[in-house]
Amino acid sequence: MNAAELKTRVVPVLMSGARRGLLDTELESLGGDRDHALLNVLSLAGQALRFTRPAQPAEYAVETWPHDERPILPQTLRAPILRLLERCTEDTARALALALETRRLRPHPFDLPRMDGFVKKHADRLGVTAQYWAQRETSPQAPRGYFDAVDLNAETWTEAAPRIRAKFLREMRKRDAESARLLLEKTWNAEDADSRAQLIAAFQTGLSAGDKDFLEKIRKDRAPRVKAAVQRFLAALSGSAADNPALAACMERIERSKSGLLKKRQTLKLELPATVKDHEAARWIQEQFADVTLAELACACELNDSQGLVDGARKDDNLLFALAMMATRERRFELLETIADEIPDAWGKMSDSNWEDSSLDDSAERARWAQAILRPKEWLPSQPFPAWSWLHRQMEGPLPTNVMREVLASKVWTAQLEEENKPGTELVQVFCALCPPELRNHLRSQLEPLTADRNDKGLMLLEILDSLEKTA
Amino acid sequence: MPRRRTGRVRIWLMAPISLEKIEAIAPDQASLVAARKLVKPSGWSGISSNGAGLIWGECQGSGSSPYRVVASEVDAGYKCTCPSRKFPCKHSLALMWMRSEGKIAFAAGQAPEWVQEWTRRRRTGAGVAGKDDPEGGAVGKNAAVAAAPVVEEMDPKAEARAAAARERSRREREEAILGGLDDLDQWIADQIDNGLAGFAANAGKLCRAIAQRLVDAKASGLASRIDGLPARLYALPEQARSTAAIEQLGQLHLLAEAYRRQGILSSELHADVRREVGWTQSRESLLTEENALAVSGSWRVTATVSEVQPDRLRRLKTWLWREDVAKGPQVAVLIDFVPLAGGPTRSSYQPGDKLGATLVFYPSARPLRALIKEVTTPAQVCGVDLRLPDKTLIAAMDEYEDALAAVPWLSAWPITFCGASLRRNGENLFLSSSDGAVLPLAASQSGAAAPLLALERFDGFGLWDGYLFRLCFAQTALGRWVAE
Repeated sequence: MNAAELKTRVVPVLMSGARRGLLDTELESLGGDRDHALLNVLSLAGQALRFTRPAQPAEYAVETWPHDERPILPQTLRAPILRLLERCTEDTARALALALETRRLRPHPFDLPRMDGFVKKHADRLGVTAQYWAQRETSPQAPRGYFDAVDLNAETWTEAAPRIRAKFLREMRKRDAESARLLLEKTWNAEDADSRAQLIAAFQTGLSAGDKDFLEKIRKDRAPRVKAAVQRFLAALSGSAADNPALAACMERIERSKSGLLKKRQTLKLELPATVKDHEAARWIQEQFADVTLAELACACELNDSQGLVDGARKDDNLLFALAMMATRERRFELLETIADEIPDAWGKMSDSNWEDSSLDDSAERARWAQAILRPKEWLPSQPFPAWSWLHRQMEGPLPTNVMREVLASKVWTAQLEEENKPGTELVQVFCALCPPELRNHLRSQLEPLTADRNDKGLMLLEILDSLEKTA
Repeated sequence: MPRRRTGRVRIWLMAPISLEKIEAIAPDQASLVAARKLVKPSGWSGISSNGAGLIWGECQGSGSSPYRVVASEVDAGYKCTCPSRKFPCKHSLALMWMRSEGKIAFAAGQAPEWVQEWTRRRRTGAGVAGKDDPEGGAVGKNAAVAAAPVVEEMDPKAEARAAAARERSRREREEAILGGLDDLDQWIADQIDNGLAGFAANAGKLCRAIAQRLVDAKASGLASRIDGLPARLYALPEQARSTAAIEQLGQLHLLAEAYRRQGILSSELHADVRREVGWTQSRESLLTEENALAVSGSWRVTATVSEVQPDRLRRLKTWLWREDVAKGPQVAVLIDFVPLAGGPTRSSYQPGDKLGATLVFYPSARPLRALIKEVTTPAQVCGVDLRLPDKTLIAAMDEYEDALAAVPWLSAWPITFCGASLRRNGENLFLSSSDGAVLPLAASQSGAAAPLLALERFDGFGLWDGYLFRLCFAQTALGRWVAE
């Protein structure tokens, strides 16, 4: 009996059981007692199988890994980065992703499986290989695209991540609002609700009468966020507050009165519904004023300009907070500065409201916003970590040097460093993430006395950021 | 490197352990950061070195008495009396770190008794927890600090009595094993009668009883093989389990038959069979055996594998590749056994490390397992590519089959290859070469190895067990890929 016969005749019997005597003829030819012959046949069949080489699959999948222009990060940083990403906070991971995006570096492909969570979360900042990796488990039918933000154009813009697409559209609206609108019109019906909400926000930039027809077409969008934004834009175009239901709802809650002896000034007060508790106030205000512009509100309050709104709301922190958010949205940083003079905790309230869509475009805009709203000498959050983390999400990078210098010198922070009140690793990490390069040594010296479990990740992050910045 | 001779033992003045090595053996980043705080003379006393690769010191920790820390520069071995569950602990790391940096002076001196005791335990194989190596050596014994065995004077009469007792015990064990093998054959025959299609589904229950019987029959090697059989089957795709059961049970019978006929086997195969059944050869006897196969050369670490055994020991395997092509085995595996609780979880060597050493191989028809007899150059991190032979996958498979013919119960076999690529079919990955050879990768590697799909070709090293290939090391255009 040869190997092929063992496999075709003996193996099936071994599988189904030899009790029925199917192999008895073969066993007799081997001689000896039945059991022993059976065992010998088993060994022979087993070895015949072991010498069978693995078969080629009928076909292999075609691998289409994209060509990545970005250089791989330096070899010396691979191991430290993998160690950093082990159990670090989301702020640290974000700071690293932002640094890689800024330096246009990408992780080593062999490290992708070991930083899978990080890659999936920040793929759009890590280059096209990382995007490919993050999408490799999505269904073949799902749209895929691997484009770096800088490589996007009118042909490829639909294939990037929603955040990058929204940014691309905003940039295009600045240059050529009409072309940007036409581009969006082409793909509008294929967009999901989240993408629609992010993309329609770009109409804030360069809004003109030319947009009206398109906005009218989509004013009954199924997504409430999209619908509200469209109504706001249409109201702005018509110049009538009546056309903006959100404005009308706000006005129902704003109490107007006159005050002053010599010169009567308008005083504004926002009445919160009785059902809104204190800790819910920031979120309610954020939602209530999300689709109202400063100009609309000033007009509705019969004031000449937005500064009049601030003057009128000077004694009402809630309304000032609403104005701060509107000023942020509209990049009215000079107005924001005057509001922050009145309520220095405005950014803390913003973080309480879970407002994530500040739509600040670039680092220069974000720096101006931070300088306008942050008042480290007057206010820093006493329940620190979530607010700082929110701040880093908005900044997408370090704070301006002068602001961070004040933060590091502030009582709130220095008190944290005292013996009995040491900061946890989460706070240390977000401070390291927010720290600009010029102040890293200063922060290091402040963190050095802390125990390793508190400062190790933060110090590692600073070291890695330093090294990345030195990379040519 | 300077060297001096002291009596019979040749001693090398060791290079300190590199910072990269310390980083590599640290269990986590927190340990490194904690160790860094201890890299200063305050808190330490008696920091010394014997100039031959041993460093030691006492570190005042939170306990009342200082922790005693000793480390070997030869192989990054270490011991600390602190209660930490991390291996190496921050104290061991700090001691190595201070030595590596060279900023703190180590007094030259003779090792104190507690250091000598540690060295002796490593040499004699008493090991970390004093457990015997189930495969013949001793726990934690591939320590590379080999030395001449201590010869003790014995009373000739007592020695004769002991020898007679040993012989009696050996005969009794032989009888017990033969009885166990008969039971094993009967058990296998029963399984065949019942049919092996459903064997894998009930393997756990079916194997437990016969494994226990073989333990009673003192055939611990076979018992361990059967104990691990269910796990080996479950690791395979469901459709492959029935045929794998035929192969595995067939091998058990082959082993039983070979054991019964060991008198007609070659000395190497004879040693293989006895080792597989459960007989052990002590480390000392192998190191002192004149005819043992010894191979010197420059070795590169190609893989480190950590496996947990059913007897709550961890088996740490370090696969070595010899860079020169002189006669003798090209691949060797060092095996250490450490207790599951309280022992290191990985080899102190890292893939890519390079060390100069003389290895002594356990006798075998295809020698693989070895001990380090002498270290000529301590292990150092090495970024240079391995000089792998220009061998295709199909040539590697031919070698495997040649080895399988010589040792039919062969398990993991080392395979080196050049110019292969990784390809995907559904969820499964395959190592494939242009000559048509293909090896399916273990499913557990499908994530970690996926980036290799982007490469057209690479060279590498891995372990083939006849069912699945475990890729351990790859040299690629993007640099070195190492299995986790």
